[in-house]
Amino acid sequence: MFVHIFTTRLKCLLRDRGTIFWTMMFPIVLALLFNATLRNIDARAEGFQPVSIAVINDAAYAEDTPFQKALEAASTGDDRIFSLTLVTREEAESLLEAGTVSGYYAAGDPISVTAGSSGFEASLMKTFADSYTQTRYAANDILEKDPRSYEKLAAAVSEQTDYLRDAAVSDAEPDSSYSYFYSLLAMACLYAGFWGLREVEDIQADLSDRAARVNIAPVKKGKAFFSSMAASFVISMSEILLLFAFLRFALAIDFGVRTGLVLLTTLVGCLIGLSGGAFIGAVVKGSENLKTGVMLGLTMTGCVFAGMMYQEIKMLIEKNAPFVKWINPVNLLSDAYYSIYYLPTLERFWLDIAVLGAFIAVFRAGTYFTVRRRRYANL
Amino acid sequence: MVITVKDLVKRYGELVALDHFNLSVEKGEILGLLGPNGSGKTTALNCVLSLLTYNSGEIRVFDRPMAPDAYDIKRDIGVITQNVAVFNELTVWENTRYFCGLYITDKTKLKKLTEEAIDFVGLNDYRNFYPKKLSGGLLRRLNIACGIAHRPKLIILDEPTVAVDPQSRNNILEGIKRLNEEGATVVYTSHYMEEVEQICTRIVIMDRGRVIANGTKEELKSMISLGEKITIESGDVTDEQVGGLKTIPGVSAVSYDGHELVIRSVRDQNNLEAVLDYLRKKKINYGRIYSEMPTLNDVFLELTGTELRD
Repeated sequence: MFVHIFTTRLKCLLRDRGTIFWTMMFPIVLALLFNATLRNIDARAEGFQPVSIAVINDAAYAEDTPFQKALEAASTGDDRIFSLTLVTREEAESLLEAGTVSGYYAAGDPISVTAGSSGFEASLMKTFADSYTQTRYAANDILEKDPRSYEKLAAAVSEQTDYLRDAAVSDAEPDSSYSYFYSLLAMACLYAGFWGLREVEDIQADLSDRAARVNIAPVKKGKAFFSSMAASFVISMSEILLLFAFLRFALAIDFGVRTGLVLLTTLVGCLIGLSGGAFIGAVVKGSENLKTGVMLGLTMTGCVFAGMMYQEIKMLIEKNAPFVKWINPVNLLSDAYYSIYYLPTLERFWLDIAVLGAFIAVFRAGTYFTVRRRRYANL
Repeated sequence: MVITVKDLVKRYGELVALDHFNLSVEKGEILGLLGPNGSGKTTALNCVLSLLTYNSGEIRVFDRPMAPDAYDIKRDIGVITQNVAVFNELTVWENTRYFCGLYITDKTKLKKLTEEAIDFVGLNDYRNFYPKKLSGGLLRRLNIACGIAHRPKLIILDEPTVAVDPQSRNNILEGIKRLNEEGATVVYTSHYMEEVEQICTRIVIMDRGRVIANGTKEELKSMISLGEKITIESGDVTDEQVGGLKTIPGVSAVSYDGHELVIRSVRDQNNLEAVLDYLRKKKINYGRIYSEMPTLNDVFLELTGTELRD
């Protein structure tokens, strides 16, 4: 009986083009879009050009030697951030108006920054001026207290010692763009819920006539449901593995070297998607469209909170409502993928998997207690 | 007895869907369960099939208590649901085979029965068609094939001809007769009295969750006082002549709307000849004449005061 239901169900689900599109093709299309967008951002970052600015060459600037030296340092060398022009105020304004420079500085206390727009260039000019002013005030305070420390101070400022040192946590290259793809894979796992939803629809006699027909047949309901769910599991797991292979080999997204753990995470993701969809199908009362809406809404909210659209949101959630990350399966899955890739130890990974396992248990129990009913009050 | 239902009560909150409903179905009969929409026919069948809970009463099928896990009983029941219950992603052949396979595990037998069921409902030319490509009538036939493929001893058909073209309807009704001739006991629900009259050997009329009449169609018609109804097309009948028709012995009522004269007789009284004599004698011109014996609708009307199709 298992083979009969399983094989027919497999055939039936594989021909469900609508669900196949949303669970397999849609994530692949999204992956392509992500890839195109993120590669474009990388290209822009790699091709950084110094910002053209002007400085008003007046008496105040002539007297402010430290500012001159600071600007000189920032506009020379391979890693220079500014391309500098010394001009009069009138010339500076006309250069800014013509778009030749992004803005201009006027020396004084405080240093005046005039920028043409509020974009990246303006932020850079403002940050540089603030940093310089802070350093100058700090230096003045020190010299007032201990004038003999001038030489040491001058050396320290010119060296700009960085007390923070980059320490590699693992051999893997940190790449924040991978988080987007990990979230996408997590989303695809949760989309397995479409199959779970359909399975409940086809086993509950109060939800469909097909299910009523199965309930009338001399087959144990649990066996019929298990056989059908097994077919859904095979299809959704294959879809997610296909997406994983596409990300790994076609888009060269690095998942690290612990492939077994990646597959385990994918398996858990597939199970939580299926179980979640079945749970929603079983406990939400209403039409099929309503249930699909609830499932999609929850999944997409999870994706947003996991930073799939904008990574800053994930940081905001972690800062302001840290518990949300523990009740968001998309976040737990993408975090598990990232832990496998980047972290040398697996404590965080196993914690993610354990919480996901708890979710699966809750979803399965909820579905079981609803679906086990064999007689209904209403049809 | 194939089915025995005793004092079945089913409530939906305040609404009593089945009110001490009783039913017995004997082996080999085609029992028609007739009643207007909402009378409780489908609810009664769903209770018999153990799909619905009920408040009180007793249900036995094949002389054994019916329960959701009574798989031995279920094995011998075939159900054709009111709505078409098939998978859109499976062909005619695959759908029939799948549902038959829930009852039959032997592969050779399963294939043979699937073939026979498709042949039985006349879908041989459509075996590789998907349901979406079938007309309403052909879909209904597929629905029947899925319900009867495993050769059940008891077949329950819940309004199987709703929204079906006349050709498919005849095919379905003939098929039900054949299944019965081959030994199956049939329970057939409908609100189409003509169908029930055509195929059923016994009829149970339901209203508001209760059985209000039970018997063969002749027995049911004999329960009411009305007899023959004569309708005559005529354009020039006076009130005096209408009064004259009422005096004919056995005539129970006469009505005239300016175009049609309707004369009703008491039961077992044939008045056609007397009425025609009267028309000729009074030199009343008339056109077509129809004579009808009482229908199940008349039975329902007299028993409940409302039309069957209300």
